[in-house]
Amino acid sequence: MSRFIERRLTPADGSLALLLPTAVALLAAFIIAGLLFIPFGADPFSAYGSLFSQAFGSMRGFGQTLVQATPLILIAQATVLVWRGGLAYIGFEGCFLVGAAGAAWIALGGTDQGLPWQLSPLLFWPAVLLFAFLCGALWAGIVGYLRVRFGGNDVLISLMTNYVAAFLVQYLVSGPMRAPGNLPQTPRLPQESWLPFIIEGTRTHAGLVIALLASGLVWWLIRGTATGYEIIASGLNARAARYAGINVVRRQMLAITLGGGLAALAGLCAVLGLQHRLMDGISGGVGFIGLVVALLARLNPLLVVPVAILYGGLEVGGSAMQRQTGLPTSVILILQSLIVLLLLAAELLRYYRIRRPGTAATRPSEEHA
Amino acid sequence: MTSLPTPLEPRVELRGITKRFDKVVANNAVNLSIAPGEIHALLGENGAGKSTLMQILYGLYQADEGEIRVDGQPLQIRDPGTAIAHGIGMVHQEFMLVQPMTVVENVVLGLPQSHFGKLDLHAAAKRLTSLSEQHGLTVDPWARIEHLPIGVQQRVEILKLLYRDARVLILDEPTAVLTPSEKETLFATLDSLRQEGRSVVIVTHKLYEIMAIADRVSVMRHGQMIDTLAVSDTSEADLSRRMVGRDVVLKIDQPQSKPGAAVLKIDNLAVLDHAGNQKVWRASLTVRAGEIVGIAGVDGNGQSELAEALLNLRTVNAGSISLEGTPITALSTRQRRDLGIGYIPADRRGVGALTESSLADNAVLGAQTGFTRALGLINRRAITRYANELIARFDVRTSGPELHAGKLSGGNLQKLILGREVSRNPKLLVVEQPTRGLDVGAVEAVWQGLLEARNRGCAIVMISAELEEILNLSDRVAVMYGGQIADVLARDDATPERLSLLMSGGKLNGGEHVKVH
Repeated sequence: MSRFIERRLTPADGSLALLLPTAVALLAAFIIAGLLFIPFGADPFSAYGSLFSQAFGSMRGFGQTLVQATPLILIAQATVLVWRGGLAYIGFEGCFLVGAAGAAWIALGGTDQGLPWQLSPLLFWPAVLLFAFLCGALWAGIVGYLRVRFGGNDVLISLMTNYVAAFLVQYLVSGPMRAPGNLPQTPRLPQESWLPFIIEGTRTHAGLVIALLASGLVWWLIRGTATGYEIIASGLNARAARYAGINVVRRQMLAITLGGGLAALAGLCAVLGLQHRLMDGISGGVGFIGLVVALLARLNPLLVVPVAILYGGLEVGGSAMQRQTGLPTSVILILQSLIVLLLLAAELLRYYRIRRPGTAATRPSEEHA
Repeated sequence: MTSLPTPLEPRVELRGITKRFDKVVANNAVNLSIAPGEIHALLGENGAGKSTLMQILYGLYQADEGEIRVDGQPLQIRDPGTAIAHGIGMVHQEFMLVQPMTVVENVVLGLPQSHFGKLDLHAAAKRLTSLSEQHGLTVDPWARIEHLPIGVQQRVEILKLLYRDARVLILDEPTAVLTPSEKETLFATLDSLRQEGRSVVIVTHKLYEIMAIADRVSVMRHGQMIDTLAVSDTSEADLSRRMVGRDVVLKIDQPQSKPGAAVLKIDNLAVLDHAGNQKVWRASLTVRAGEIVGIAGVDGNGQSELAEALLNLRTVNAGSISLEGTPITALSTRQRRDLGIGYIPADRRGVGALTESSLADNAVLGAQTGFTRALGLINRRAITRYANELIARFDVRTSGPELHAGKLSGGNLQKLILGREVSRNPKLLVVEQPTRGLDVGAVEAVWQGLLEARNRGCAIVMISAELEEILNLSDRVAVMYGGQIADVLARDDATPERLSLLMSGGKLNGGEHVKVH
């Protein structure tokens, strides 16, 4: 085998070298998952056809894709910010939930289940955005503080806070914020508090605008400001950052509180834009999927948006395909997981080059860029 | 005793070895023959391919072309196991010892054991003791590695090879971490190995060591074998010319310094390391504008902690530091940098640079807020322009400012760091091991840079374990031993002998004692 491929010292980083493994991984994932369709009597080609036409083919479907992508974008941008700062925080699920709860609480203002006062429309939007953001910032900030001040294990602590947040929401919707009735959920939020739909004939809501603004903000912060430089330096090499006079503790705290806040806005979007009420299990693992999106986008805030839309499309198209072909849900999940797995594994390919028979053995190869 | 082949037949012969990494040809048709009973030095700048060649001989890499002959027989060395089985052993620059285990456990590690799989450590210890007596390598077989000083750990590495009856011992940069007296001991040991007919290969770029100990020297440059000559037929100047390919002046003729007012005053400083050990204790020192104060000392005597304390990268336990009369003990790293303190750390990849960021990003490290426009926006164009200036002025060899800093060679990275720190015109520059691991050309450039900064009036604290560097550059020499400044000598009083004495904990006696300042 080593006659045909050889290992590179550094990964190839040309644009072709980045695109080709991605394409190969996607293709391989679709082929392998397609093989699984056959025992169920489904034709892979028509199944995939329905997947793409559902997700991207119609305005309605694409709108649904955008709805799915909105929280993913926000959480992925949060991940970019926090992970670039050198913290392995995985508590975005929790931030999402506290953000959702906070937004619902403000939105239910003036009722028994929410804020005691009803806010005027003018005051409502800044208040609900700020409050949800602060909830998430505080939630993530606690973990950040434990990590940067006392050296706590950020992975474990943040993972555990996800459960705390989930139970907190469970408590809220079955206790203080519960709507009269049998279901553990809040009352439906007043229509004035819903995020407006922004594309005619679809359920795409203004949360997408929030997500895109947040993306711009994250991109601007880490690419364009000295503060962003200091955050990245802290994440790449804390010792070098300290040597350069950067207050690593402060920069990492900034990254994690901003990140927590952004993830909380994802929760706000889910409550005010999609569900219009707070209920148990509202997150559905989006805090982790957003993290995967960020990793697939290589923590690049500009790549996050297309990757999140593709991933959102996969979810929308996947469930449509499942309805149409009668495939079990697990097959769709396998497809999604295969894509992630193979994309991450494809990174490895960049470390190898193909040896052209007869050439490489005699002269140093200079043609493969 | 091993029976010796006829002296004419080389013990190991490398013929036409070629090894490529990616686009780089690390070894290009290299020939090398090592005779029995000789100390053979392999000399070359960093990146000349000497380590690669030795790793091929030791089986860590496979050559793309060429053959290796051991005792006249061609041999495929696929892994270190094969090399060891044929009597070839290697001591790496970073020791491969299991720290919490004892000496004898480390020595037998990886050896097949007899006695039906029972590990007989006592028999091993006995054999080890007799070996160490035979070669003057005194070591307690039952001591734990982590408790042993570096010099003794190196003995254990050599004993490991002798225990396996290695007839060819490859030592990669063996003296880099040793005190002058430990060096003497090592050389005596190498000499006794030579007497026994064993072959020793030392990989090094220190010329004076080659002249002191080796029989023959092979010079490599850019992956090619330039020459193999008898040490008696050559000189340091000749060797360095062959190694670099041009004349190098390592004796710097610096004009006498004209020191000005005191810039740095350290008073009774005490610093702890992260484990709570007292690393600096009651250290006091004054450094004036326009002078280089060399801090000599064996690694680990508190020099690094002192440097870190000056930048507030380590908390000061007691005592005070002042810069131009202003107390700075309570100031943060940022504030101290803003007051005009620059720092070139010993660990240039781990501390001095962001290896995964571009040269441009690294050029502004420490001054990142100085390149912003309104709203804290970074001015990328100004950064790139500045990086290009640094690259040109300090002769950093790179394909451009977008290259990742980690891809630079040590010398070029150090030139970038030096340029970055020096061009901010600091009042005080703290420099730690400025040329460790650098090749001659880079050493020259770094020394020049430091002298220019001094001549512009910068006060420089230069920590170095290399006596040669200390003697060449310093206007005054302070010696650190056991966390204290053992003495401060004027340049003319600082002889290698006196410094060695102070570095190993000795005291200068009254008649000889010349205290300056």
